[in-house]
Amino acid sequence: MRLRFAITIAFGLCAGPLLALAQDDPPSEPRHDFRYTISAINDATFYSSLRPPLPPSANMLNDPSVTLLQNQLLLEPSFTLRYRSRWSLASSVAGLADSYRGLSATDFDLPPDNPVASAALNAALEPYSGTHTQFRVKEAYGGLSAGDFDFMVGRRIVRWGTGYAFTPAGVLDPPRDPTNPTDRLNLNQGRDMVKADFVHGPHAMSLVWSSAALAPANANLHDTTAFRYNILVHGFDTSLIAGDDRGGDAFGGLTFTRVFGQAWELHGEAAWREQGAVLAGAKYITPIGVSFIGEFYAPPNIPYYRDRSISPLAGRQHYAFLYAGKSRLRELPGWKQWDLSGSVVTNLDDRSYTAIFDATRRFGSHFSSYLHLEIPQGSKTSDYGATPYSAATSVGVRFQL
Amino acid sequence: MFRINCVLRTFLLLFFFGFLLAYVFVCHAATPATPDAGALLKRSDAYRNGWPSFVLHVKITHYESGKNDEDKLYEVSQKGTEKTYVEFLSPREKGQHLLMLGDDMWVYLPDTSRPIRITPLERLNGDASNGDVAHTNYAVDYLPVFLRTEKVGAEDCYVLDLTAKRKGATYQRILYWLRVTDARPVRAEFYLTSGKHIKSATFDEYESVEGKTQLRRWTLYDEIRHNSHSVLEYSGIAPRDLADKLFYQGRTDRF
Repeated sequence: MRLRFAITIAFGLCAGPLLALAQDDPPSEPRHDFRYTISAINDATFYSSLRPPLPPSANMLNDPSVTLLQNQLLLEPSFTLRYRSRWSLASSVAGLADSYRGLSATDFDLPPDNPVASAALNAALEPYSGTHTQFRVKEAYGGLSAGDFDFMVGRRIVRWGTGYAFTPAGVLDPPRDPTNPTDRLNLNQGRDMVKADFVHGPHAMSLVWSSAALAPANANLHDTTAFRYNILVHGFDTSLIAGDDRGGDAFGGLTFTRVFGQAWELHGEAAWREQGAVLAGAKYITPIGVSFIGEFYAPPNIPYYRDRSISPLAGRQHYAFLYAGKSRLRELPGWKQWDLSGSVVTNLDDRSYTAIFDATRRFGSHFSSYLHLEIPQGSKTSDYGATPYSAATSVGVRFQL
Repeated sequence: MFRINCVLRTFLLLFFFGFLLAYVFVCHAATPATPDAGALLKRSDAYRNGWPSFVLHVKITHYESGKNDEDKLYEVSQKGTEKTYVEFLSPREKGQHLLMLGDDMWVYLPDTSRPIRITPLERLNGDASNGDVAHTNYAVDYLPVFLRTEKVGAEDCYVLDLTAKRKGATYQRILYWLRVTDARPVRAEFYLTSGKHIKSATFDEYESVEGKTQLRRWTLYDEIRHNSHSVLEYSGIAPRDLADKLFYQGRTDRF
């Protein structure tokens, strides 16, 4: 009886997509659909009072105050090819050329006639000099859409979290950096996965198996199996997440977003992995279009959530994030092409923080330029005070096609 | 004598009621019938929503002080009155899309790789707002009241006063001029909750698509900054069978 039931279920799962495949498309639908973007960015970042991680053997005498210039040239093409709305092939890659100026061994007070210290210093400074090139596959996947089912295999950026600066429940999300929540240079990479989605009415289910085999060695990722159930009910966009990291922990999570009235949006996440982590956030928009976002985040001090600069003995951490910004200052004559925003992320336990300011100016349909400023503050052992520079100022030009 | 008085009284009473009835009937026939505002609004919506499920391209050309300031291109897929999916096609916005499910709205930004919930106020962003592109079924969003008949240029028009009846409505109030002969939109004025007159519109050009007259071009005038206006041009209007999952809020395809 059980076997028959299992066969029926299996047949249903297989036959559903096949039957859907057998249906004909409406004649007006195009057979092929090709969409692409090409983005080129030149970003120059000046790190003031940089303190590069130096080996103890170098025995540096003074804390050098130098400004390092990092110039990044990025080329990011992306495309999606669709055939009959069923088959799809998508890719998004980034070529990156990094070059550094301004930091050399002469900036440090080396003990004289100490070749060991000199060699150690040169090795430590190697990542901060010369030019380095990288090629990143951010996304590359193939997909099949059949009836209510979607299947995909390949590398893809999946974000299940609803938080803006933090995401305790985003188990497959790229690491979220609260000082750069929108991934300013689009350098995040997806995870390698096989994914199946079922969408029917307000219900959506996703099953993912993600491999860590091709992930960078320092990414600290495990093979992950995860399931998400998503439903929109009474205006609540709610998801339940469950899964397991191979060799790690099982985890569970809940996310929601809800709009109240004309101007308020509330969102939140709760996750359980050894211990609970919570995020609560809100967005408010004024009638003239100024957005305010606030988030409170309390992760447990376990390896999965811990920031490198936090001591394992420090206990649960508490963070706050505040953002205010306006896209297109059309109310001010001559400022319509400008976006301005400022934000602060702070560790409430050690009272360190980073203040961020962004300004963007558009030129025509394809070009824009920007200024991004980051100022970390706090004691040298604190979360944001441990940032190895006193300020980072980025200016850049972006071309989009 | 008494009998004559009684007959006379009855005759006068009947005459009076007959006169009253005739007067009411004549007056009623002389007053033009008030048009059914709801039916008019539904009829006018058909000029922008010709089929239950369709796609179209919208080109928005923005003018500042008479000069072409910016062009934007969108592909709009609409199913029923509650589901709209807008794909942004202009170079700077490529990869973005907007989803409206009734009163709920999400925007997908390639930078964040996830749909972000947005508030009703955010649908007012832009010279031509998201709502101007995606929410064009006024009969669903507004409660109409017939105000008067008046001439706009050479056209006799009905004037309807529309008041938002749901959160998803883009504006709080619209004054809407519809041509008497066929309920075709001619002109509109858009108001915020504060009562501020924010935009005006003229509906400039119509075309026949598969036997249905559809709006092809309309112009939105900014009433706050009087030197700015946007022209919205519709093209490629076609009925299409759209799958429900195109309108899933968790959709994370870049394109």
